[in-house]
Amino acid sequence: MTSRATTFTRRVATTAAPVALVLVVLLLALNSNGYVVTIVGFAAIYGIFCTGLNFFMGYTGQASFGQNAFAALGGYGTAILTATYYWDPVAAFFVSMIFAGIVAAIIGYPTLKLRGHYLAMATFALGLITYEISIEWIDLTQGYMGYSGIPPLGVFGFELATEKQQLVALALLLLLGVWISTRLRDSRFGRALRSIAGSEPAAQALGVNVARYKLAAFVIAAMYASAAGSLFAHFVGFISPEVFGAAMVIQSFTMLFLGGIGTTWGPVIGALIVSMLPEVLRGMHLKELQDVAYCIILVSILIFAPKGIFALIGEGVAAITRRRATETAPSAAAAQAAG
Amino acid sequence: MAIRSSVLGLAGLALCIAQAAHAQDVYKIGTAVGLTGYAAASDRGWRDGQLLAVDMLNAKGGLAGKKVELIVEDNKSEPQESVVVYRKMMSNDNVQAFASGCVSAGNFAAAGAVVRAKIPMVLCSILPPRPEEQKWAFSVLPPPRFEIEARYRYIKEKTNIRKIGILHDPTPYALLMKDIGVKIAQDFGLEVVATESYKQDDPDMSVQIGRINGGGGGAIVKMGQGGSTVTTAKNIKQLGLDNMLLLASLDDGAPLKQAGEILGERFMFPAPGVQIPESIPAGPAREAADAFLKVWRAKYGDRDPNAGARGWDAIQVIAKAVEIAKKTDGSDVRDAVEKVTGFQGAFTKFNFSPEQHVGITENPYVIGVLRNGQFAVK
Repeated sequence: MTSRATTFTRRVATTAAPVALVLVVLLLALNSNGYVVTIVGFAAIYGIFCTGLNFFMGYTGQASFGQNAFAALGGYGTAILTATYYWDPVAAFFVSMIFAGIVAAIIGYPTLKLRGHYLAMATFALGLITYEISIEWIDLTQGYMGYSGIPPLGVFGFELATEKQQLVALALLLLLGVWISTRLRDSRFGRALRSIAGSEPAAQALGVNVARYKLAAFVIAAMYASAAGSLFAHFVGFISPEVFGAAMVIQSFTMLFLGGIGTTWGPVIGALIVSMLPEVLRGMHLKELQDVAYCIILVSILIFAPKGIFALIGEGVAAITRRRATETAPSAAAAQAAG
Repeated sequence: MAIRSSVLGLAGLALCIAQAAHAQDVYKIGTAVGLTGYAAASDRGWRDGQLLAVDMLNAKGGLAGKKVELIVEDNKSEPQESVVVYRKMMSNDNVQAFASGCVSAGNFAAAGAVVRAKIPMVLCSILPPRPEEQKWAFSVLPPPRFEIEARYRYIKEKTNIRKIGILHDPTPYALLMKDIGVKIAQDFGLEVVATESYKQDDPDMSVQIGRINGGGGGAIVKMGQGGSTVTTAKNIKQLGLDNMLLLASLDDGAPLKQAGEILGERFMFPAPGVQIPESIPAGPAREAADAFLKVWRAKYGDRDPNAGARGWDAIQVIAKAVEIAKKTDGSDVRDAVEKVTGFQGAFTKFNFSPEQHVGITENPYVIGVLRNGQFAVK
């Protein structure tokens, strides 16, 4: 009985509450103006990006500073296929994702033999190289001029013409992405990834093919990043190299650590906070102090919730359920004795 | 309870009416500028010139009977941030026109939404690439061709150099200039021996300069702004190229002065009249420049007026359009900007038309140098 109640409380806290939060934010945005829709839209896109990154950095415990490279592949792939070759956005979306996955597999195979700082440096170089290519290969990417004329999201000729329609699609894709992440995390595959994060030699000793699982996590993260890049291109209708620069890496890391790395909903909560906080401060007319206030708040959150906000919530729920269990246990024992 | 609800309802209604009345009394112009990031030097000047223009307009009674308000938002020189701030100004501030800064990619990224909202844009940057966006966008940036022609003409007419090298950064404006520069060199009897590129934060250009020198180039025509000009000047000196000329781009005064201090009069740049006011002959152009410089210098002293003058002019162009339209609706103002022709600004004269959305149609540049610590005509 106690066990069922505990499980129910945990499920509410770890699944139903975040889903409800996303839906509430979506409903609020749908009843607001274009400004709010834009911010929440970007938050959803970054939520997808960070959920993918969480596979590699959170579940598997590896470091990647180069996921922006795969977002760029997705963004430019979609832009070129839809704006130049008039492909259907959905087809362009999936082709770009598959392409990013193949590239990740080819690059990841040798790169993932590195560990720690060396892996971080290699992935960082990957991001820098892609950034340089997007600037210099002007015939393909149009360099700093950027790629414009990218159509909105749509399928089989039906276009999501308004930003609010696109926002609904983004929210659904985000929920789908998190659902896949949750299912995989709790599967045999997810447990293998988490064992690698715990200790690579121990995982290997238990029969986990470490290299293969790391590569799989890297490819999944790349496909999520590609999806985020494609969605950005459709949502804004324009991309340029700066969109997929080092700022994207820093922002996604902030989201991941703030929300809770290794947790399923942490990246989404982090994306929401990091996207919305600057705008809340902008609304307070702090102007020159906006960036300072933003940094102080972020640092404060990380001091008081070093494992991220979602982990903090999880710990709070665990504490409540433990207290309930200890409260109900003596009364249950007494009832059993009386019976 | 009913009384309380009624009072709250009335208060809410009064607030709405007050806000609507305020909105009707104010003409809001939005500006998305890179107050931080790579465009900060030029966009801060642009913004400050705009604020002076708005103060001046309000002192004269505003526009179409309305007070003018400039809504300034920092796009951090990033396209994504530009989209957010444009949307904020459209949705929350209800701006009726944009006069945004020099971050081309930011203006391009937001152009689609601005066009859908039917708001005219007068930009510091080049025009967005798509025709439907160009319909609503106007540029107060001189066409890149003018910068190149001014420099090529100087080399052709005042020197014996016939072989040159082009050094450019990867920004849209510089790339446009590079293409034009390569294309029209022959028209001036010049041969481009090397076309070299650099990144804005490159700490050294010796390799690129060496290639130009190795190809027999006697002058470097540089296309790109900021500290890279100073780096190029330093490298020319370090390499001992005592006869090499450096002709830089239109820029803020600070890097131009630093480069001039390194190379002396071997360093030149295309200067608009407002940067060397003595070069403007007496007449309407001089009067317009002096009117701006009077308020600019009163507030900012010796600070370079180049970007500020364009910001000032952007607001004046919108003001002129409102004056022509006698209305402040976006569509009316857009149509009226196309009728702003022969308008003398502080930077230069503007001639917009339905076919001409880049307002500067006459070359505004002279070739400037640093002489005795001051900019002067070469």
